[in-house]
Amino acid sequence: MSRATERPRSAAEWLQFGSAGVIVLVMFYPAIWMVYSAFKSNREIFRTPFALPSEWKWGNLIEAWNVGGLGTLYLNSVFVTVMAVSMCVLFATGAAFAFTRLEFPGRTLMYRVLLVGLLLPPPSVAIALFTQLRDMHLLNTHWALILPGAAWQLAFTTFLMRSYFLSIRPDMEEAARLDGANTWEIFWHVSVPMVWPAMLTMIVLNTIAVWNELLFALLFVTDDAQRTLPVGLVRFSGYHSTNYSLVFAALAITTVPILILYFILQRHVIAGLTATAMD
Amino acid sequence: MLFAAPAMLLFATFVLLPLGASVYYAFTYWDGFSAPRWAGFANFARALTDPTFLMSFVHVVLYILATLVFEVSFGLFMAVLLNSDRRGFSLMRGMFFAPVVLSMSAAGVLWKFVLDYRTGLLNSTLRSVGLGDWAQPWLAQPETALLFICIVSGWKYAGFYMVIFFAALRRIPRNLYEAAKLDGANGTQQFFAITLPMLKQNVIVCILLAVTGGFAGFDLFFTMTNGQPFGATEVPATWIIKQAFDQNQIGYGVALTVVLTVVVSVISIAYLKISERGHVTRY
Repeated sequence: MSRATERPRSAAEWLQFGSAGVIVLVMFYPAIWMVYSAFKSNREIFRTPFALPSEWKWGNLIEAWNVGGLGTLYLNSVFVTVMAVSMCVLFATGAAFAFTRLEFPGRTLMYRVLLVGLLLPPPSVAIALFTQLRDMHLLNTHWALILPGAAWQLAFTTFLMRSYFLSIRPDMEEAARLDGANTWEIFWHVSVPMVWPAMLTMIVLNTIAVWNELLFALLFVTDDAQRTLPVGLVRFSGYHSTNYSLVFAALAITTVPILILYFILQRHVIAGLTATAMD
Repeated sequence: MLFAAPAMLLFATFVLLPLGASVYYAFTYWDGFSAPRWAGFANFARALTDPTFLMSFVHVVLYILATLVFEVSFGLFMAVLLNSDRRGFSLMRGMFFAPVVLSMSAAGVLWKFVLDYRTGLLNSTLRSVGLGDWAQPWLAQPETALLFICIVSGWKYAGFYMVIFFAALRRIPRNLYEAAKLDGANGTQQFFAITLPMLKQNVIVCILLAVTGGFAGFDLFFTMTNGQPFGATEVPATWIIKQAFDQNQIGYGVALTVVLTVVVSVISIAYLKISERGHVTRY
């Protein structure tokens, strides 16, 4: 799409390109620095912080992976994220369907109540939630992160799914109803396929949020075997704060896959964010 | 109704129930284990005379003001700068946005290295250009710690606001700019006469996001300084967690969360009311 406009650039356009390029590179540089520092020895990091490693030490990565138990952390994070995101997006789609396509008493009230969640800061319930989860015997299990994680993304997800439903005319659903389909069939076979693009966007955005969640993960799970990546990383860097190459290696292992995934899914991430700020 | 039930149930159990419980616990003395004892307004009275708690609000307000500069304004500036169909710009937008998908803990750990006194990227840069005297222990002195947390926050989130503004910029009709050019308006005049008014609605939403997000700020503060040095970067969230979990004063900690909730709600509702007068409704 950009190829079509490759006529010669004017001086102003070169200036725009140059200044944008400098700012973006300066800001992106720490990420690059982190990646190649992961392959250096401690001594090299101290002596020549800018230079590329004289010898690429892949052993750093293996050591960090083993010492930090990063495999377990990854698995925990994947499990928590998959469960919380599917729960949240599915429930939110159902709720948005109900709020826009069905008539039932208390509909507006329910929606209003749900919107409270848009403004609340998570720290405001963290402590009460902690004691509640303890009484439910969920502390130190993945459910302590999945259920609250899904619940705290619900307001935002339902809000956006609802506006997506509102942007589609209900003709298809009404036609299906005339053909004798029940509400359940309409939801699964008519509505879900139609709003699937929005669901996909919400899956991407919620994955970023749940994957990176720190506060709840820090408070509700104190058992090393159940921890997720963000907490594991903070603790790892605390234990090994003087072993720079090890911490850099752990940082690289935990962030590079996410960055690659982001560059692949960039379109969906950005489409989702633009939807957030519209209307 | 059945379709809304799972969502409402989950929301009620893990958002509304703890919120309600918070209000009750806030009026009790409670260590989290023995039975709560009724305390009346004692926790709130203590909160209002707790100097660290009060200072934490000063810090968070400074932080929010800084995010309006480093995140919202800088994001808007970059959206205008990166708004081009030329080759390379799409990649630059992607790179500029990339920090948003990283976790706050990864960003915090990474930037602790960048700002490290001895080996950090910032001080190494200063030394290599002969400004070694300017090198500072940025996160270890009260004067600069908060500022640098704000800068890191800007590094992480400017891309988020850039994308939102960028999408909005694309929807401004081109002919407005052509008309302005014919009238002899330069770039700056066009920005203030066309771009900014057309983005008004987005600016209002972004400020709301920055304010509510700012009060919830925890991750970066916890990872980078956790309130240190000398309480210079203590924000409500970090102080609340310390009270409740390090000191076992659940009742008092909960009271602090209630104060935080009330402050955030009042500010956002007031803000929405004021901006609605500019005929903008979001909810």
